[in-house]
Amino acid sequence: MATHEATGESVADSVGWRTKFRYVLNGDFVRSLPFWGIPFVIMGIAVYGGIGYNIAISLTDTAGIGPVDWSSLDLEMYSQALAEPAVHRAAMNTFVLLVAFTAICLVLGLFLAVLLDRQFRFKQQTQMIYLLPMSLSFVVTAKLWVWMYDAEVGVINVVLGLFGISPINFLGNPSFSLAAIIFALIWQFSGYTMIVYLAGLQSIPESQFEAAQIDGASTIRIYLRVIIPQLKAASVSAAVVLMVFALKTFTFLYALTGGYTPPKGTDILATLMMREAFNNVQWAYGAAIATMLLIMALGVISPYLYYQHRQGSL
Amino acid sequence: MSTDIDHVNDPDRRRYLKALAAIGAVGTTGIAGCLDEGNSSNGNKGGTLEVVHGWNSGDGKAAMEALKKAFDEEYPDVSTDYNGAGGDANSNLNTVIANRLQNNDLMGAFANWPGKHLERYKGALMNVEKDVWEEAGFKDTIHKATIEQCTFNDKMPAVPIGSHRMNNLFYNVQVFEEAGVDPKSLDSVDALISALKTIGQNTDAVPMTQAMSGPWTNLQLFAQILLSQSGVKAYTNFIDGNPDGKAIRSALKATKTILQNHIPDNASTLSMTEANEKIVNGSAGCVHQGNWLYGAYRKNDQVNYQKDWDWIPFPGTEGVYVFHLDSFVAPANNPTPKLTKQWLRFVGSKKAQITFNKNKGSVPLRTDVDPSKLPKYLQQMYEDLRSAKQLPPTIAHGLAVTPQTLTACEEAFRVNFMGPYKVEAAASDLESAVSN
Repeated sequence: MATHEATGESVADSVGWRTKFRYVLNGDFVRSLPFWGIPFVIMGIAVYGGIGYNIAISLTDTAGIGPVDWSSLDLEMYSQALAEPAVHRAAMNTFVLLVAFTAICLVLGLFLAVLLDRQFRFKQQTQMIYLLPMSLSFVVTAKLWVWMYDAEVGVINVVLGLFGISPINFLGNPSFSLAAIIFALIWQFSGYTMIVYLAGLQSIPESQFEAAQIDGASTIRIYLRVIIPQLKAASVSAAVVLMVFALKTFTFLYALTGGYTPPKGTDILATLMMREAFNNVQWAYGAAIATMLLIMALGVISPYLYYQHRQGSL
Repeated sequence: MSTDIDHVNDPDRRRYLKALAAIGAVGTTGIAGCLDEGNSSNGNKGGTLEVVHGWNSGDGKAAMEALKKAFDEEYPDVSTDYNGAGGDANSNLNTVIANRLQNNDLMGAFANWPGKHLERYKGALMNVEKDVWEEAGFKDTIHKATIEQCTFNDKMPAVPIGSHRMNNLFYNVQVFEEAGVDPKSLDSVDALISALKTIGQNTDAVPMTQAMSGPWTNLQLFAQILLSQSGVKAYTNFIDGNPDGKAIRSALKATKTILQNHIPDNASTLSMTEANEKIVNGSAGCVHQGNWLYGAYRKNDQVNYQKDWDWIPFPGTEGVYVFHLDSFVAPANNPTPKLTKQWLRFVGSKKAQITFNKNKGSVPLRTDVDPSKLPKYLQQMYEDLRSAKQLPPTIAHGLAVTPQTLTACEEAFRVNFMGPYKVEAAASDLESAVSN
């Protein structure tokens, strides 16, 4: 290309458009197009087009069935939503759920992984037992936990009863309900964090343990100072996946009650959005809540993006 | 220059992201454009009649199957597509319908509650008053109260298929006998509450069972108590947006007394079916619910009508039939308007009403049905419907208030009345819900 540049326009003129066209066609960009272009277009339209359309709808006043009126676009739906106590409650619950679920899953997963990293009998089987809940669908686990939490015949209350504790209405009592949901989700997903950490732990060479041992470090110290700092990448990627699961809590709550109205104290932005959009056909208002949920998710995920950016991979 | 060459040979991530953003923007306008297109009439292409409904299990499924069969027998040359959407709760069906209407993906007819519930589909409904109601003579043969509920926005877009009575108290005969409670003596909410106390003292059964996995059951119980204590007028004022604060608070107090003292400890995790199981197996005395519970008793061989289970009108509401309706609704500009009308004329016919309701355990709306074609319990219901002096529409099932008001009322119960029970907070939330 540099030579073309040097000889000037005359050469460029003398090269016919066919040659230029062929040159473009043979380029890496065009030849690789069929491979990345198709998913690129589908992603662009289905995902980012969808997000964009949602934001566009949220700027209108669309409600009910009928064509969308694009003539007046404003942020009215957002100011309306921000003034609504139900939105505050749902946003708070969503945030608490996201943070508590992710943090506890990470800590618990790490703890289990460290335990399983030791050599003992039935290691594989134990691993399986911890991972199994993740393979179940939310519909199954939600129903399971409804029964577990039952105030009359639920296993948890029966066990508590053995210690003389009177039955607790986990899902009916607003001071317990969100914690109960988070606990059920942790039960389901801590196995996943465990596997991620276990893979991380097993990739750390044995020699590092030995070296630290020779230097006289205790087991706890080895983990705290040598091993865990090396699990940063695993933590970050597990956290992101967990957050995505936390945002899917909608499915869990829907299966729990069979509707868009979850137990008191566990209303999250996703269920609120469904009620507004599909029970009340307030499309624009629902879309505004959806956008706020998206912003919240991006806010939580941004440290990861920043981390990736600093690593030079974004 | 060299950087340019790099870019040509190696489209980096930032370029990729930019392009993705561009396509996203194109996609946005594309979607926006497509969805706004053509609210125009598609005309009548003959085609296939699509009926969307939510009756996919139990007696609802049996009823829908029977209805389909009857239609296909009567009109063998009509090609039909019966599309069962969603689970037992109507929320999924409603979501599907709203989505499809909004995206202009129209069906011939869909099952839904009529009344103020139709506010959801405002502007997207067909008027079948002339071609169905008048032509088939339904205005003379279908119960008068139904006509009002099937009229929306001065149009008649719906034809009823069946009704459930809402103001019932179902009870387990053995539990009531063991407790020494005479159901006939229950003529007021106070009498009910003292009977519940007696059942609690004299038997091992829970006096009343209540499903509280959703807030609608409490809203429904409150509505019956309001009706019973303060009468149809107070109830009507409430649903029309002129609530009487004292009446509401009094009804909420009675509801609180019942919910706090006389229902199962695990009510908050019970679905309606699970709550009703307690009546069937004798671990609860009574339950308030729409008479769809009849379906559950009927299919269970263990319990027989009047021997094991029985019912009374909700105490203090004798002579009142709290009105619930299922109907088929016609969307405007749908691809098969002629078949839609044909379907709706069929839905209102004697044959369809008997076939469907016999299986569903609900009440036909035609006034000229031979009661002997119905099971014993439904005969009684049918008589009650025809002789009822007052038919206030149900609030928890869409007839009485718009979907938005209904959601707000449910929210008032969800936030304030699922235990602990806050009468004042619930009352003021309910007042603002109906007044808006």
